[in-house]
Amino acid sequence: MILNIGPSHPATHGAIQIVIELEGETIVRADPVIGYLHRGVEKLAERITYHQFIPYTDRLNYVSCFLNNVGYVMAVEKLVGVEVPERAQAIRVILSEMSRIMDHMVCLGTNVVDIGAFTPFLYMFNVREWGYDILEEVCGARMTVSYCRVGGVSDDLPKGVEEKILKFCELTESTMADVEGLLNKNRIFRDRTVGIGVISQQDAISYGFTGPNLRATGKQWDIRRAFPYLTYDRYEFDIPTHDGGDIWARYWVRMEEMRQSVRIIRQAIKDIPGGRIISDDFKHVLPDKNGVYGSIEGLIHHFKQVMHGINPPKGEAYASVEAANGELGFYLVSDGGRSPYRLRIRPPCFIYFQAFEQMIKGHLIADLVGVLGSINIIAGELDR
Amino acid sequence: MGDVANYMEGLKSQLGDAVGEAKAALDGVPTIEIKPSAIIAALKFLHELPEEGFDLLTDLTAVDWLQYPETGERFELVYLVCSTKANQRIRLKCRISELNPCIESATAVYKGAEWLEREVYDLFGIRFDGHPDLRRIMLWEEFEGHPLRKDFPTRGLHPVERTPES
Amino acid sequence: MGLETAFGPGFITTTLDKVINWGRRWSLYPMPYGTACCAIELMGTLASRYDLARYGAEAIRFSPRQCDLLIVSGTINNKMTPVLKRIYEQMSEPKWVIAMGACASAGGPFDSYAVLQGIDRVLPVDVYIPGCPPRPEALLQAVIKIQEKIDKETVLDRK
Repeated sequence: MILNIGPSHPATHGAIQIVIELEGETIVRADPVIGYLHRGVEKLAERITYHQFIPYTDRLNYVSCFLNNVGYVMAVEKLVGVEVPERAQAIRVILSEMSRIMDHMVCLGTNVVDIGAFTPFLYMFNVREWGYDILEEVCGARMTVSYCRVGGVSDDLPKGVEEKILKFCELTESTMADVEGLLNKNRIFRDRTVGIGVISQQDAISYGFTGPNLRATGKQWDIRRAFPYLTYDRYEFDIPTHDGGDIWARYWVRMEEMRQSVRIIRQAIKDIPGGRIISDDFKHVLPDKNGVYGSIEGLIHHFKQVMHGINPPKGEAYASVEAANGELGFYLVSDGGRSPYRLRIRPPCFIYFQAFEQMIKGHLIADLVGVLGSINIIAGELDR
Repeated sequence: MGDVANYMEGLKSQLGDAVGEAKAALDGVPTIEIKPSAIIAALKFLHELPEEGFDLLTDLTAVDWLQYPETGERFELVYLVCSTKANQRIRLKCRISELNPCIESATAVYKGAEWLEREVYDLFGIRFDGHPDLRRIMLWEEFEGHPLRKDFPTRGLHPVERTPES
Repeated sequence: MGLETAFGPGFITTTLDKVINWGRRWSLYPMPYGTACCAIELMGTLASRYDLARYGAEAIRFSPRQCDLLIVSGTINNKMTPVLKRIYEQMSEPKWVIAMGACASAGGPFDSYAVLQGIDRVLPVDVYIPGCPPRPEALLQAVIKIQEKIDKETVLDRK
């Protein structure tokens, strides 16, 4: 029997369609169909300036918007050759780790709701609301922040926000303790997740897996350690791995990663340096408003950049960040003009969804929703 | 960049003058231009290196150089591979012409190339020989045109929305 | 040939209007058709802080046969349009549509070959919510506006 799941279905996280062939209740073949949220973002990038693309990056992985901003501006900064001051890097690290916690909360919350546990979903969404409060105070928007600029960040941290971030860390830890108390030793949850949706480490690497899904197969690979960026090489943190390769392993790795993120945030807040929050290379970076209104050079730089763009040299650059879901990469090709000649976004979800058929062959339909939730498919990133 | 010398010799001895020079791009990643007939052999060679073993296919994409015909053939394929053992990246590129945009598929070397090549086929129109299931992925089957080509308008070919039913 | 057409406009039909509208406005069954970022704000509205259950619209059901309020939140592209139309046609009367966010109202920032520039090109929309994404309070206000719209309806309009 051929069954069509989606694209409008409660358990498909976003607009994805899976056509499965069943024998009884066992899945024999699966064919995922994507493209229901394809917005042509890579084509749009070819006619707008580099700065104007920053809000579009928010809408890619829309549960952890800040990480996408960081990845894109890092690629532009490599292209242009701009140094980011240390305070801006530390602020980027703090907000990236907060976004990672919020992303894992959604992933795990919706994953366990599909399996049947509703209470952790409400607890985890509460953590998101506290995170939104802080993001609203720092960046001005709850979700789609667009806080990064080429060369730094747009505004400094307001007074008193460090204590709120530390309080957020404590609340995260207590929520995690509650959720683990509900789920970790729960017989039903273990039966529904251990041994389901298994992928071996060799297959995972061959498919191109990165991020928590690869770490759940036992491979210790993290972009923050392999190709360090921002100020990650100054902080102490572990890279949790698990050998199972199943839904339980992915759940466990994400929980541990949130603990490590809290550890990084605490260290970053303690050691946050002072100084500028945006580079002073005003040929490629928007000058501050005092300069724009007060000096003629500031005015001219601002005018040139807004009207003509930043015009980087000809060439190409690739930058990637360890997003909550894996390696999110941005590949920019410049021909010296005001818009990118080609912008390619390397989405982690796209790579994982290829392996979906292999992961659910031989399982039951009820397992399908559990596996789909555990690989954390965000349609905005999958289809761009 | 110094590490590249280790396997550049091996690549050149295997594939001869199909391999160009290794240059560092603006992000510091060594970039090698290779002829289309030898690209899959180069990928296989790098994949099977004992020490580095470029095991992760990070990205596979294409660029349409229609507006700069003096740089070479129209379509440029870019393969970015990564070694998880040695923490290195390397970028391979090749150019194919628009009259016959066809190249061998990389699915024999990396399983992850399957959907990446489907996306390049959908958005650029480049065909991959030996691909197990080459069909459109982002757009629907009856869609006309390949959107990321430079001669395709941003707003689309049809003034009114064309949906799969119409 | 219903009771209301037999009586015509008058005291009985207006009282009937009040009772039916009161019932409908306080028991809306939303169908969350969430595709993109606005769906996350929709989930936030349903969660504990901005509780949509206060307006009686807590029971979200993903089956169009059981719902009467279609909340389209997120970008609708050309591949998704036939699916959206079919879901709308499967809903039974009375039904209302909220276009949540800039993408559903007018295509949003995505003016490209793949995106439908506003769902009102294929569906009749009752309330538009601007924003990218709109705050949960904006969605609550939209539900209140739908309730006000329901209050103005009369049984003589619908067959």
